[in-house]
Amino acid sequence: MSVDWEVVAQGGTSVPPLRRVIDQAAMVAYAGATWDWHRLHYDADFVRQLGFSATVVDGQVFGALMAECLQDWLGPHAWIRTLSFRFKKPVTAGATVRCEGESVSSDDGSIAVDLRIVVLDDSDEVTATAAVGEATVIRR
Amino acid sequence: MTSPFPAEFKDRVGETRTYRAPEPIGAAAFRYFALAVGDDNPLYRDEEFATSVGYSSVIAPPTLVCETNQYADVAPNEFGYAGHDWGFHIPGTRLLRGGNAYEFFEPVTPSDVLTVTWTIADITERTSSAGVPLLIILSQAEYRNQDGKLLVRNQETLIMQPVGSTS
Repeated sequence: MSVDWEVVAQGGTSVPPLRRVIDQAAMVAYAGATWDWHRLHYDADFVRQLGFSATVVDGQVFGALMAECLQDWLGPHAWIRTLSFRFKKPVTAGATVRCEGESVSSDDGSIAVDLRIVVLDDSDEVTATAAVGEATVIRR
Repeated sequence: MTSPFPAEFKDRVGETRTYRAPEPIGAAAFRYFALAVGDDNPLYRDEEFATSVGYSSVIAPPTLVCETNQYADVAPNEFGYAGHDWGFHIPGTRLLRGGNAYEFFEPVTPSDVLTVTWTIADITERTSSAGVPLLIILSQAEYRNQDGKLLVRNQETLIMQPVGSTS
């Protein structure tokens, strides 16, 4: 199904959400793929000394999820021009997260989007916001 | 309360550091990253698909170059971290990432050899609403290819605060 660019650019269109379980195996794969071997992401003894209950998800993966969410939604001719995000709360191993958001009004022909990464419990209820962000997307 | 942060930190604004990747980034890096995050978009792994929509080859997942330490070619530090680091470590504090702002100018392709220049753009001190002293370090990274073409810009905010404090 293709997206009606003009309608989305007016704002108020929901982004199809993306749900992900970030378990320790996924965190190790991400650490390897990004050459980021910080102990925070896999060393349980190390993180306990810092006061965390479990290994800490590398927050930058939320940027990747936001980009995936946008590119899946808007298709291969969409070009993400800007993407910014701010971290609200650390997420630890085993968390289920969802990337969600909506378009906001844009007057230059681009699509502007507000995005969030929320943490879900076992019933898929939102328990926390891990990160918030904004993006602009153009057609190439 | 007196500042827990050395005053000379602020003298480092304007400092730069440049890294040049020892080899092209390579298509395998794109596929590895996409597989690791669970992104099955064919733009990052299917040459025929990527060229059919107008790219010269497969392209990197957009945020990859901002997330990877592949270009840096530095040894892991005591925490296992093997990427760019300004060395702002002082006992009794911790450094957290506050956020990132990316601007994407050109697609990153497998033959790109990255040169990445980091700059300390600003350092400011403030107090959180809970009264915790914070040092905000704003850095900027520019990612260019072997032709000097600007591919991506990344502004990163780091927040230093005393250990045990909750801002």
